[in-house]
Amino acid sequence: MSATGTARRGPGWITRTFVHGISGWLTLLTFIFMLAPIVVLIAFAFNSGRSTVVWTGFSLDWFAKVWSNRHIARALNVSLVVAIASAAIATAIGALAAIAITRRQFPGRDVLGAALAAPLVLPEIVLGVALLVFMSYAGVSLGYRTMIVGHVLVSVPFATLIVRAAASSLDPQLEHAAADLGANEWQTFRMVTLPQLMPALFTSFILAATLSFDNLVMSTFTSGVGTTTLPLRIYSMLKLGITPEINALGTLLVLANVTILFLVMGRYLPLMLKTNRR
Amino acid sequence: MRRALRERIETGAMLAPSVVLLTLFVLVPLCVVAAFSFALRDPYGAVLPGFTLDNYRDLFQSVYLLVFANSFKLAATTTLLCLLVGYPVAYFIAFKAGRAAPALLLLLLIPFWINFLIRISAWVVLLGRGGLINQGAMALGLLDTPVGMLGTYGATLVGMVYAFLPITVFPIYAALTPIDRRLVEAGADLGAGPAETFLRITLPLSLPGVLAAALFVFVPSMGVFAIPVLLGGGKEIILGNLIVQLFLEFRNIPLGAAVSILLLAFSGVGILLYMRALGRVEAMK
Repeated sequence: MSATGTARRGPGWITRTFVHGISGWLTLLTFIFMLAPIVVLIAFAFNSGRSTVVWTGFSLDWFAKVWSNRHIARALNVSLVVAIASAAIATAIGALAAIAITRRQFPGRDVLGAALAAPLVLPEIVLGVALLVFMSYAGVSLGYRTMIVGHVLVSVPFATLIVRAAASSLDPQLEHAAADLGANEWQTFRMVTLPQLMPALFTSFILAATLSFDNLVMSTFTSGVGTTTLPLRIYSMLKLGITPEINALGTLLVLANVTILFLVMGRYLPLMLKTNRR
Repeated sequence: MRRALRERIETGAMLAPSVVLLTLFVLVPLCVVAAFSFALRDPYGAVLPGFTLDNYRDLFQSVYLLVFANSFKLAATTTLLCLLVGYPVAYFIAFKAGRAAPALLLLLLIPFWINFLIRISAWVVLLGRGGLINQGAMALGLLDTPVGMLGTYGATLVGMVYAFLPITVFPIYAALTPIDRRLVEAGADLGAGPAETFLRITLPLSLPGVLAAALFVFVPSMGVFAIPVLLGGGKEIILGNLIVQLFLEFRNIPLGAAVSILLLAFSGVGILLYMRALGRVEAMK
């Protein structure tokens, strides 16, 4: 008994260190690798000098500079319009398709399900190029319209998948109960099905808006004159050289995201707890 | 009967937006690109009606073959590095982190909150000649003079792994968590060492997640253009840069269309390989 125990411990010690022990160290190093650049980035947003490397003193000048930069304000405005519009459209289209796919029988159901996930695995750059070529061929000028269509394409797979997952886990008995109690189809949908899908719709909207707000590739091909988004503006700023203004902008974006996340959590958590209790 | 008809109309109305979206803005545009890739071009690169294979023939010049080779090398290396780093991290979060797991997953999401260009700019600063990595290495006595790390292939790889690592961890984590730990315990009870139980139980069961992660990293890696420009100095031309240049700078639409179709074919092959491998993994169970 003890003989086999020690025999097992012999080579086992090495594998435990390398298969299991090393995963802990690698995880730690990975998190340093992922997060340290962000910490440095935020720290140098408060540098007083022009350098993003040499610390010369504390100041908030770069934040003031971002605040008064008209190009950034304009780009932020464009990004927000496109993010909100495309997220709303993608969520609506994705939710309708997801509900039909999970609830209804129709020919080509599997094909549509796969096709809606396709933009996830097709290179975005090709979708962008195709849209650019098609829109100019059709005589549509580049601008908000083309960019919103492009961003909807990028986020509709996520919207569909999220709502599909939620719709397929709904309890059909609740709807039968509503029907038994005399609710018509529309009332059942509005008062039973929809409230249960709200968390998924909300998640889908937030995710789609985030993807749109961060998008560079699709915007590169579908934005027009005067509809430069924030990532496009940042890309052209970066090509000219990095000043703490970029860091300050990044810090403000982190702050905005954390605020939104907390608002979402504040709204989303009670919803999750409620559905769990039920 | 009337009820059935009404349901069919309803279903049609629910499906119409997505069908229109996919047909009008994905299928038709891709067909137009495919058609343009066979079109003639005037000296300025604009599209002329006609049929030719010249655009594809042009792609077999050594310049363009090199671009394809560069892109493939970059995407394959990025995928491999991401899997090598991402797997142990996912493994740790799934099995070792315990109650810290949700916090670790949330931390891994933080980079998503920050525009990826700004995150890459952090690396531009860190890797620069006067950057913190050079400063740190010199302070520790590892280096005598600063090393120019920016504009190298290594810098591009750092940026690529940095950008794609979270996307690698999540599918692998999702495949690892549902694994029944009793299987692993059973393996240990039957006398298998940790390495053997890992290789014969945990790894095969998590392969679908690994394959999904590989697909999610490889396909977008083939089309990147910003990271190699900002960190690698744009020295090695890759497909993404080529497409951007052909469409937006040189306006050589037929040639750009041919490059896009080839990239699409490349991704199609990647997806087919993924599905075949997935089929084989599932048949193994």
